[in-house]
Amino acid sequence: MKDGLVGVDLRPSLRTKLLAAFLIIEVLLVSVGVIGLLSLREADQHANQVVALQHKIEAYRQVQHDTLRQLYGVFTALAFPNETTLAVALRQINQFGYDLDRVSFVAKDEVALLNQLREEYSRFIAVVSHVVDLIRNGRAAEAKQSELAELGPLADKLERLTNQLVNRAEADMVTGIDASRQTYVRSQMLVAAVALASFVLTLVLGHAISRSVIDPVRIIHHGLNRIATGDFTQRIEVPNRDELGELAAHVNSTCEELQQLYQSLEEASRHKSQFLANMSHELRTPLNAILGFSELLLDGIYGDPPEKMRSAVERIQRNGRHLLGLINDVLDLSKIEAGQLRLTLADYSIEELVSGVYISVESLAAEKNLGLRIAVPLGLPPARGDERRLAQALFNLVGNAIKFTDAGEVRIEVEAKGDSYIFSVQDTGPGIDEADQAKIFQEFQQVDNSITKTKGGAGLGLAIVKRIVEMHGGRIWIESRLGHGAKFSFLVPARLEQQAAQT
Amino acid sequence: MSKRVLVVEDQDDNRQILRDLLASVGYETIEAHNGEEALVAVRTQTPDLILMDIQLPILDGYEATRRIKAQSDLRHIPIVVVTSYALSGDEEKARAAGCDAYVAKPYSARKLLETINRYLT
Repeated sequence: MKDGLVGVDLRPSLRTKLLAAFLIIEVLLVSVGVIGLLSLREADQHANQVVALQHKIEAYRQVQHDTLRQLYGVFTALAFPNETTLAVALRQINQFGYDLDRVSFVAKDEVALLNQLREEYSRFIAVVSHVVDLIRNGRAAEAKQSELAELGPLADKLERLTNQLVNRAEADMVTGIDASRQTYVRSQMLVAAVALASFVLTLVLGHAISRSVIDPVRIIHHGLNRIATGDFTQRIEVPNRDELGELAAHVNSTCEELQQLYQSLEEASRHKSQFLANMSHELRTPLNAILGFSELLLDGIYGDPPEKMRSAVERIQRNGRHLLGLINDVLDLSKIEAGQLRLTLADYSIEELVSGVYISVESLAAEKNLGLRIAVPLGLPPARGDERRLAQALFNLVGNAIKFTDAGEVRIEVEAKGDSYIFSVQDTGPGIDEADQAKIFQEFQQVDNSITKTKGGAGLGLAIVKRIVEMHGGRIWIESRLGHGAKFSFLVPARLEQQAAQT
Repeated sequence: MSKRVLVVEDQDDNRQILRDLLASVGYETIEAHNGEEALVAVRTQTPDLILMDIQLPILDGYEATRRIKAQSDLRHIPIVVVTSYALSGDEEKARAAGCDAYVAKPYSARKLLETINRYLT
């Protein structure tokens, strides 16, 4: 998928997506913090207001208290007129002045009432000073008269004024406390709402990111697994237009290349098999002519050949047959490798199979003066498998045994074991080193020693035997010690109904 | 009167071998180079037996065998398939096409003669 705009890539990259998501989450966190701080400031303001009102009320009460003490001082001076009581009454006037100043300081907003209060106070203080002067001058009766007529009503007035101030402050306080409570509830709900919204939004963002990252990763992972199992037909479909989308596109194009490579390899392998089949036919045609003519010569069709010529023709025939065997081995192995060789399953007689092999190797053994023995139990029930291939396997083993044994005997044995038969070929040849025993079943591998070098061979026989036995679902093994001969055995099911899977 | 054997074989050398072999026991040989020639020869020269190669140009041995065996007046002529296709499955295919016997190359001359004689005596 390529963008239509040249040089401008409008696809949000994975990095941008992640950064945006984290940025949004951070903004949410900061906004929760800011809202909390604002609420705290408001609460603090309300608390300060309440404290200021308390100070006001305290100051008003002090003024009331001062009024009472002033009255009490005057009464005391009237009752006990001496310098001490007079000094107390005068000092009280000073204290009263300070407290009134304090009231005007804490309650600047109550201008009208404060002015009234200050007027009444001045009057009150003037009367007090006058009464104190009368007492000091010994005019007690006048002083008492003045005290009763003026001081009492003035004190009442002062108290009414301060009560009025206290009431207003108390009313303000109730309003303030109410407002504070409302602010508290409001900020609580606001913070809870923003927190909840952040929670939901974060979840949504997390889900979106995981969908846009984890899902494509999983899809690509599955796709790669499919490719690993050799399925190149599927393509990975990822809706992303970011790095993961690009990754998927790369995986797809790589898969396409792999598919093409795989197809060309398959084709090459088919061509190879076809080539081998053609080649082997081409090689066999002239070889068959050579073998055919030499046989006619030996059969005396063209007249009896002289002894020397007969011997030469026999050599031609022997070498021709050897060459044909090698060509057939290469073809067989390549067919098995390509999975093109199918077993032809049919009932067969073990006895006939073994005697067929015996007949074809009899002369080889006789030429080397080797004993050839067969041990097959009598009356075996018919077995099922590919008789021709099993005969080929047994023939290869017996042929090898005769080839590598210079003296003694070769023994072919069949043993029934449960649902299987064990074919074994034992010789009195040189034996095979334990280290070499594992290698000999691989194609083109021969035990590398002077004996095998003189015997020749392409090293395909045992590999073919092993494949044939495995196609029957059986196994092959060797028991041997250097210098003590070798015993090759293979086990195949007595009745094979279906060809075993090739490995 | 000597028996007549139709040799269907595209290789000169192989034809020569069969010709020499058959002549040595007194059989007359007629020849065809491919399946189509074989179909003509079998109709015009009425052989007593046919030796049929499988890999032939124009028309292969399987198909030639099948066509001959499909004709009721020719069906009785024995057909021995001779092939270098010594692979498993070839004999089954030849039998399915309707041949009477199957000999894989390289054949022993004696064995082939035995097979031929089984049908001609």
